[in-house]
Amino acid sequence: MKNRLEEIRKQHGIKQEELASALEVSRQTIGSLENGRYNPSILLAFKIAHYFNLRIEDIFIYEEELR
Amino acid sequence: MKKNTSILITILGTVLLAVGLYMVRAIIDPQGIMKTMPYLAIGLGCGMFGHGLGELYNRHVIAKDPKLAKQMEINQKDERNVMLANTAKAKGFDIMTYVFSALLLAYALMGSGWEIIIPFVIAYLFVEIYAVYSRVKIEKEQ
Repeated sequence: MKNRLEEIRKQHGIKQEELASALEVSRQTIGSLENGRYNPSILLAFKIAHYFNLRIEDIFIYEEELR
Repeated sequence: MKKNTSILITILGTVLLAVGLYMVRAIIDPQGIMKTMPYLAIGLGCGMFGHGLGELYNRHVIAKDPKLAKQMEINQKDERNVMLANTAKAKGFDIMTYVFSALLLAYALMGSGWEIIIPFVIAYLFVEIYAVYSRVKIEKEQ
């Protein structure tokens, strides 16, 4: 699943480490999410959306046509 | 694990190790089970001593650095880390199934006695049945 996490994080001027610490996940998880290698659980997706005051759909892009 | 349990395991390990070493030196002509008992005690003692001391050292390091403790907790609970560990375990289980059956077949072809093959089959079936049981149990829970 594609996402705009890296773009949004950089817009907010936050380092991966800071985001990881705020979300209580490892920095590697943030890296994997940004690279699109890892799809988060719904709970983590909500946490990320809450952190940036956005909706999940604003961050994660569901591409039905690819499935 | 509680601190007292770690201390107890370390002490028990030390005692077992000492008893094992003593038995190796004291028993001149061991018979029956006493041939292996000292070495079993040494092995178990070393394992318990190392495990207990490791836990105590870990606790000591964590107590000194709360930031490190928090990071360790995060890494342990991190959903990606948990997923990776579970995937690795599942792959390990899959390969173990094939290794077990290959070994079982090899023992059978070598003409090994029933006293080796039967416990092996029981262990193999136990593991496989436990996997099915876990599947059913987890499915009911979720």
